[in-house]
Amino acid sequence: MARDRGWIGLLATAVALAVVPFLQEALDFASFYLVFLSGILFWTAQATSWNILSGYSGYFSFGQGAFYGVGVYSMAVLFGRHEVDWLVAIVAGGVLSMLLALAIGTIAFRLRSLRGEIFALLTLAVPFILAAVVRLSDTIDGGQGIVVPVPAFPEALGSFQSFFFVCSAVVGIAAVAIAYVMARTRYGWALFAIRDDEVVAEGLGVPTFRHKMIAIATTGLIGGASGAILALNLGFVSVEGTFSLRVPLFVIVMSVLGGRNHWAGPMVGAVYIHTLQNRLADSAYAGWSLIALGVILVLLVLLAPEGLMARFSARPRTVVAAFVATLLALGLWGGWGEPVDWLAAALAAAAVVGFLPGARRAALRPRPADEVGEAEPALTDEPMTAGVASRTLVATGDLTKAFGGVGALRGVSLTVSEGELVGLVGPNGSGKTTLVNLISGAFAPTSGTITFNGADVVGLPPHRIAHLGIARTYQIPRPFHTLTVKDNVAVALVFGRRPHSLREARRAADEYLALVGLSHLTHQLPGQVNLHERQLLEMARAMATRPEVLLLDEALAGLNPVEVDNAVAVVRRIHESGVAIVFVEHLLRVVRQLATRIVVLDQGVQLAGGDPEIVMSDPAVISAYLGREGHARSD
Amino acid sequence: MSQLQAAIFGALSGSLFALMALGLSLVWGFLKIINLAHFAMILLGAYLTFELATTTGMDPILTLVVSVPAMFCFGGLVQMGFDRFEVSEFNSLLVSYGVLIVTVQVVSNIWTADFQRMDPAVNPYAVQSVSLGPLVFPLPTLIAGIFAASLVIVGQLILERTYVGRAVHAFGQDRQIASAFGIDHRKLGVLLAGAAGATAAVAGMLFSLGESLNPDAPFEWVGRVFAVVILGGIGNVTGTLYAGLLVGAISGVTAVVWSPSASPFVVFTMVVLALVFRPTGLFPQKAGH
Repeated sequence: MARDRGWIGLLATAVALAVVPFLQEALDFASFYLVFLSGILFWTAQATSWNILSGYSGYFSFGQGAFYGVGVYSMAVLFGRHEVDWLVAIVAGGVLSMLLALAIGTIAFRLRSLRGEIFALLTLAVPFILAAVVRLSDTIDGGQGIVVPVPAFPEALGSFQSFFFVCSAVVGIAAVAIAYVMARTRYGWALFAIRDDEVVAEGLGVPTFRHKMIAIATTGLIGGASGAILALNLGFVSVEGTFSLRVPLFVIVMSVLGGRNHWAGPMVGAVYIHTLQNRLADSAYAGWSLIALGVILVLLVLLAPEGLMARFSARPRTVVAAFVATLLALGLWGGWGEPVDWLAAALAAAAVVGFLPGARRAALRPRPADEVGEAEPALTDEPMTAGVASRTLVATGDLTKAFGGVGALRGVSLTVSEGELVGLVGPNGSGKTTLVNLISGAFAPTSGTITFNGADVVGLPPHRIAHLGIARTYQIPRPFHTLTVKDNVAVALVFGRRPHSLREARRAADEYLALVGLSHLTHQLPGQVNLHERQLLEMARAMATRPEVLLLDEALAGLNPVEVDNAVAVVRRIHESGVAIVFVEHLLRVVRQLATRIVVLDQGVQLAGGDPEIVMSDPAVISAYLGREGHARSD
Repeated sequence: MSQLQAAIFGALSGSLFALMALGLSLVWGFLKIINLAHFAMILLGAYLTFELATTTGMDPILTLVVSVPAMFCFGGLVQMGFDRFEVSEFNSLLVSYGVLIVTVQVVSNIWTADFQRMDPAVNPYAVQSVSLGPLVFPLPTLIAGIFAASLVIVGQLILERTYVGRAVHAFGQDRQIASAFGIDHRKLGVLLAGAAGATAAVAGMLFSLGESLNPDAPFEWVGRVFAVVILGGIGNVTGTLYAGLLVGAISGVTAVVWSPSASPFVVFTMVVLALVFRPTGLFPQKAGH
């Protein structure tokens, strides 16, 4: 597949950039091109840095200026004022900025109720605070600005511009390489899962806090180092120039233009925007640069929110051909403009080809399905325990949960033993889903105990509970919508009880898709499959965490009778593979068929429990289900 | 005494930021749109006042006759666009950012990037001040305080007492249910966004009354106005006024007892603390709305 050749392109770009300074001496081209390329590399580093946090994990930041600013001022103060070695200052810029990032993360990501917009505003405030501190402190700036002299660089590099180019290239390439590697490892997968649905990711065993901290630290490190390098080229730094909205604005526009879901998106965006800005500034339309930027942003978000990279990867050959052909044609003709104009024209040609009608459909067309139907699942390493009720797995004691003053659950004591299939029934609002949320750790109980295999699990984060062996599904399926059906399952394997490598996980995912009968949909996106299939995917994903207890929250809601029968068969198959199941369900016919035991909740109180036939004929249960009036009339 | 003067003067200046924040907060709270184009409307309002007063010699306050309807239409049109493309809360931030920078550049191309202010000949308010005992206040700041307070009171009354106000509340809580009960969400959204635009025009007029204009001014407002929105509570009309007064007073006092450069530090540290500990704002609305 094309996307696995990304590293070749990355390597080729790196090699090509490495020889540019030497080519300048040989070919004697204008140093303008070194400055131009350095600019692209600087913005590539900043935009890619922003994208690791805000694109990959979805936590949108307006605070890129803070990381950049810490880098700029590290260089200005350490090298400019105290003559510390410039290399040390670059490292210091990166590290200090990373520490700031970790501080922001520690405050923000600890908040349970943190919403994306609140995080965005929090990061908007940070550069203002930093700017005030820098302006106030005479040991940093004091409002006067700082002169950054030209550093002593290795003579082999020739001019300062070559030196600055090399520094920018190192950080720019490193940033893209980090983004590339992340997208292909568990770190990136964790972030993608967080972006799509953080609660579900946590429930499947992804340590979300840790991964968000890794993401923001990486963003800080790259942003700071890149800022420190740019300070060398600025010569003079000031508070106003450093903490303006320019950097946050540009990185956002670049990443949105290039595509936030792709490692190369910010780089592509940086090439486009920097070239556009450069050409506009040089033309009679200098006053139009912000207008162009604003219009691009508006049109993109409204019409093509997935960005250029998504369009390009839908028809890579055509796009590259259009780019190369335009560049060569203009270069060989030579009758118009300079090489940078040819580049701008070639980029425009590539974009036009990318946006031609048809590309969108190609991008969304499902890839051909894998060979269908490895018959029955082979979960051989799990012993068959069905019917041999023995060890207690989950036990709740006097469990109570109040929302505000409303008691959603009141004193529920439930046990689930090995091999059981417990049907949890009750009218709407009786507390069934609340019970599932408490056991899986999504909410903390107001009082009472929950143990799993005898160990207290109250207060553990959901991913720890998943690792112990409790998995759940959601009534309304919540798949990771940017991952394929197979990768949805693979994520659960990567972060589940027995951590898999990505390669192993993708292979093993087939087994779970076969278990629920979804093998034919492996490469579809969740948005392309129907409700029934998404519900089956929920089960496959939960099973991939290798649970001992599976909590199914109304897994049959909204299905037609044929689909219900199919889902029942799947649940039975899962049960027979040795997993204890708690089964929240409204369809009494199904509960009777499946359950080895029934527990009835009514208004947060446990009404009855035991053998399905006996429970179902209990007058209290009938009254709860048919309503008190109906029951009174029958008395 | 200078600290008291600073606090009151700061609070009055803060009321202008409350007025800037008012429309932003309402649209965010009830329409779920984070409309950075609101700053574009304030800027346009300010330049409209400047242009009309300078070229026609109109009283600056009277220019509202033109700028208020103009910004009502601007706000309504932007909202129609958001509605037409079903822009999410998050993407509204990006789209309206685009609208903002386009406006800034257009303003800069028309009126140049230089600082400009109305000539005292057409703006008699700029050079007058009012003394209350030992305290002296520039007239533009007092006018801003009066306008902000009245608009907040009127806004609060409309939201509480009128049918439209109740419809807005219902819509903010659950737009699907509200639509099902016969509330035309498009009209209501356009109306609310237009009203927000009208307040932006007033805020722009008040700004141009006392300060010099330049096209980059929105970027200086953004931080402080969002601080007021968050501290006041998103969608909370009276909370916005209190937060504006509070932020203004604190900035004023900080500037006197510490340093003018320290006020953003104090204000934004407050914002961070508020976001962490009181994400619904410092002035919770009474239940029963």
